[in-house]
Amino acid sequence: MDVNEAQLISRCQQGDQEALEEIFNQYHQKLYRIAYGVVRHREEALDIVQEVFIKLFRSIHQFKGKSRFYTYLYRMTMNTAIDHTRKMKKAPSLSMDEEEGFQLSDDADRRPDRILDHKELEARVKWAMDQLSPDQKAALIFREIEGLSYQEIAEATGCSIGTVMSRLHYGRKKVQELLKDYVGRGEVL
Amino acid sequence: MKRECSSISRLLEKYFDQEVTPEERSLVEGHLPDCSACRMALDTMQNLRILIKNPVEEAVEKETFPWVWEKIEKGIQRKERPGLWNFLKSWLDVTPLLKRKILIPAVAAVVIVILITAPLLYKKMSSYPGPSVVEYVESETYNVMVYELETPQVTVIWLFEDPEEESSTS
Amino acid sequence: MRRKTSFFVILILLLSPFFGDVAFAQVQVRVRVMEASNVGSGFDSSLRDLHDQLGSLFSFSSYRLLKDENVSLSSNQPVSLSIPPERSLELTLINQHRVTAEIRVRITRQGRELLTTLVRLAPGRSVSIGGPKRGEGTIITALSRPQ
Repeated sequence: MDVNEAQLISRCQQGDQEALEEIFNQYHQKLYRIAYGVVRHREEALDIVQEVFIKLFRSIHQFKGKSRFYTYLYRMTMNTAIDHTRKMKKAPSLSMDEEEGFQLSDDADRRPDRILDHKELEARVKWAMDQLSPDQKAALIFREIEGLSYQEIAEATGCSIGTVMSRLHYGRKKVQELLKDYVGRGEVL
Repeated sequence: MKRECSSISRLLEKYFDQEVTPEERSLVEGHLPDCSACRMALDTMQNLRILIKNPVEEAVEKETFPWVWEKIEKGIQRKERPGLWNFLKSWLDVTPLLKRKILIPAVAAVVIVILITAPLLYKKMSSYPGPSVVEYVESETYNVMVYELETPQVTVIWLFEDPEEESSTS
Repeated sequence: MRRKTSFFVILILLLSPFFGDVAFAQVQVRVRVMEASNVGSGFDSSLRDLHDQLGSLFSFSSYRLLKDENVSLSSNQPVSLSIPPERSLELTLINQHRVTAEIRVRITRQGRELLTTLVRLAPGRSVSIGGPKRGEGTIITALSRPQ
């Protein structure tokens, strides 16, 4: 953590909202990227980002600097996003194809060779990612979307590097199988 | 698949994630030119990454984050209010009274006051459920967004026009 | 002593709504219509009190006053006035509680209802309704009550 960031965190811990705003300016895009990677829905991702910064302001006094600040933020974002998806799953009106009345075609499975509509493909990717366990999904999102190293993922998810590699391996394997018609066959895995 | 694939395959993901040691990298890169299966596996991983990542990058690129910071400020102020409430609660805490012999007359007095004022309370409080300036908005023509800030005190109702609707009705 | 005080505070709080409702005969509302745009720069002096509010939300460079009118609202008696672009604004006082007035706002065009909203206005508070385009600019109607 550089000196500037340490000062920002310290000011934030003392209730300085301007410091929080500077942190927001630095990180909101990255956190949005993670949130969107989980929920694949603009308004929900924005809600998650808002919730994270509100939570951060209330709980930043608990940050002791034992991990890097951005991994602390990423973990908070991922946990908030996954909690959000759990709550949304409990809402009876929601389904995978609920966004803007978009419906997955019934024959999509039978015709993988046709060119899929952009939104349909996105819906399928979201569905495949939703079949993963929260830990596998988190590892995959941190790696594929945010480009974190194994060490950084381990810090953000509170596990060992070996566990990260295992989650990535099985997560990728499952998603590849679910999307095999669009990514090709990964026989080595 | 070649026999050495079994040993290389364990390294393929690490190689793809650029987490290999220099020795491991040499091993993999020495093997790849002769093994289409491993090359295909890498392509598959790359395709998967594109599928997962590209929609997110597109979404981030076009996102302008309207009013996000303002909503965060408002959320923080809302959550700070409980401090005042806790202070009031400590003053309005009457539980010690329950341990004393004034309980019955006190309860009787409160019940009488409630019976007298409840109909009025219901009528008044139901009209004014909270501090929000805009009670409701209805429009069959526009998409509407309501912005409310506390500092400065601003309330704006914004109507998003549909250009086709405007040209067809003007 | 503190407990007795808090007991009487509860009693007063329970009784206060009974005394809280004061009926005013009329409510004064100021209606200002302005054209906001990024053509030119400047802020009409009559809009000075709204400057901070609008500036915190919008990034227009120019605010030009088109109309400035004071209306008196009586309970359930609508008052209409024309506002650009070719619309009619109808204000009706629905209710009052202490100093806050509940006002129904209707915007129509050629008899067709475009927007209905119910707002609560206290003295010194304003509500702005914006969005309709007029040429290069956007029309914003600000409703406020004098202090």
